[in-house]
Amino acid sequence: MGLATRCAAAMAAALCAGTALAQEPQPYAERYARTCAPCHGGAGVSALPLTPSLAGQPAFYAITQLFLFREGRRDSAAMTAVAREMSNDDLRGYSEHIGKLPPPQTSPADADALRMERGAALTQRLHCTGCHGSDLAGGRQVPRLALQREDYLLHALRGFRAGSRVGYTPAMTEALAGVSPAELEDMAHYLARGPAAKAP
Amino acid sequence: MKSFPSKSWRRGAVAALVLAGSAGAFAQQKAEEEPFWAKGRPRTDTAMKMAPVPAFPIPTAADKLPVAKMKLPPGFKAEVWAGDVLDARGLRQGDKGTVFVSSLFVAGKIYAVTDQGGKRTVKTVAEKLFLPNGIEFHDGALYVATPKDITRYDNIEASLDNPPKPVMVYDKLPGEIPHGWKFIKLGPDGKLYVPIGAPCNICDPGEGFARIVRMNLDGSGVENVALGVRNTVGFDFDPKDGSLWFTNNGRDWLSEDLPNDTLNRVSQPGRQHFGFPYCHQGDFSDPEYGWGKNCNDYAKPALLIGPHAGALGMRFYTGKMFPDKYRGAIFVARHGPWNRTLKYAADIVVAWPDGKGGIAKMEPFMTGLVENNEYLGRPVDLLVLKDGSMLVSDDHNGAIYRISYGG
Repeated sequence: MGLATRCAAAMAAALCAGTALAQEPQPYAERYARTCAPCHGGAGVSALPLTPSLAGQPAFYAITQLFLFREGRRDSAAMTAVAREMSNDDLRGYSEHIGKLPPPQTSPADADALRMERGAALTQRLHCTGCHGSDLAGGRQVPRLALQREDYLLHALRGFRAGSRVGYTPAMTEALAGVSPAELEDMAHYLARGPAAKAP
Repeated sequence: MKSFPSKSWRRGAVAALVLAGSAGAFAQQKAEEEPFWAKGRPRTDTAMKMAPVPAFPIPTAADKLPVAKMKLPPGFKAEVWAGDVLDARGLRQGDKGTVFVSSLFVAGKIYAVTDQGGKRTVKTVAEKLFLPNGIEFHDGALYVATPKDITRYDNIEASLDNPPKPVMVYDKLPGEIPHGWKFIKLGPDGKLYVPIGAPCNICDPGEGFARIVRMNLDGSGVENVALGVRNTVGFDFDPKDGSLWFTNNGRDWLSEDLPNDTLNRVSQPGRQHFGFPYCHQGDFSDPEYGWGKNCNDYAKPALLIGPHAGALGMRFYTGKMFPDKYRGAIFVARHGPWNRTLKYAADIVVAWPDGKGGIAKMEPFMTGLVENNEYLGRPVDLLVLKDGSMLVSDDHNGAIYRISYGG
């Protein structure tokens, strides 16, 4: 069974299981392995297109996103379907487990020097580090960007830019207002290979 | 004046996908700016790590609420009055006893808490609202103020399960997000008092911002009550003379220890300027906007209430349950700072007016919610119930506590 098939099967199982999902007493590491890992990866490093890595994301960020999915305030039918079955304790349990996953260590090898340079300059110009940290590792309610999947980063950046993804406030939409589509691509290219890649 | 964020909020949230093709010229300029709260932040590593933290998206379980940690004067007792009230902010009581609770970024809801012989039920009476922090109850109606408008839910206590459609009272508020969320209150003159905060940390916002206004209950007759008010999220009227007292949040990033948040009294409605952005805490001119200005030209605060303390809800104590010394005293909820290395406050202080427009003294009242430089809870608003006990909202835990005396 291929990766995408395993993800789809797990999604289907999660949806069919309905409320049973919320009542299982297993530790969240096991529940993560069954519910989240088929799509997001066992160690939280996603190998699936347009599916974010969860590794290294702060627990506060993770629980906030699960909350927004559950409330239907973030645009993903698949994640809303999964989160809708989660209790408050589940949101805590899953997000605490996610918060313990070590950050991704590897990045795509095909770095384009010019795009990396443009992406780095953009993260400075747009003050990304002001919230996401100088190492772009995020913290508390702010997500890690460094070494996230490039296709997901681009998808997220486009969503913020278009105003179709809104959190509690439109801070990201404002931050990206006036940024061109090509610039978004450069940023995603850079962040996916980002500053953490250079760290020893 | 600069272009401020809510323009894109309105496009983003209200007109949803329209923004994609229409992020106009203003947007190009905005992209180069920092978020409003970060303006003026020093480039040191420590300061660069500080940012406002939203309320946790899950209310704290009833048995984990920090009531046992609360320290109160002898004879007082704190208990959980209602849990599971996500992002609990403003508190108001209806004629029939319903306690209405507002919320802000995280929940965007208005709740109604009813009490049936000690068993309390929390209902959501409005949701998907835009930062609906400001509420007031008058003559059977609940007033809800967002940064954009004020609406009214008539005869709401009769239909909590099926709330009426809101009636528009006033739709000409600026709608800015920074300090745009409201605290509203009915004055002894029968008018609704509404703040319009500075749309920035520190800026010269021009006319229209950084003031408190009042209006008739139909939204007509808007007039200034106080100018130069950066951001008030709590005010009340002195039961002795009807004068307006308000808390005011000082600017960020000037220093760890300056300026203070303040408690202020309006002695001449419409004719006093409280200093923003030129003068802070009555005696400290702004390093940028203060040049050429003199702090003596502005109204002085009645009380300095702590740097970046987040002084929010305040209430004159008009009940009979607390000991005599508290009658007529002002209780202030301090949310606790986000932009200060050493966390403190997250408490309730009590201050006694000196009868001459000032404050004679201030004392801690409820403390104990800062541990290991973290908040265990963060008080937002206060409400004196008819029995004289006091409710305290805590947005950090999504809970409401009751403080009572002698029983």
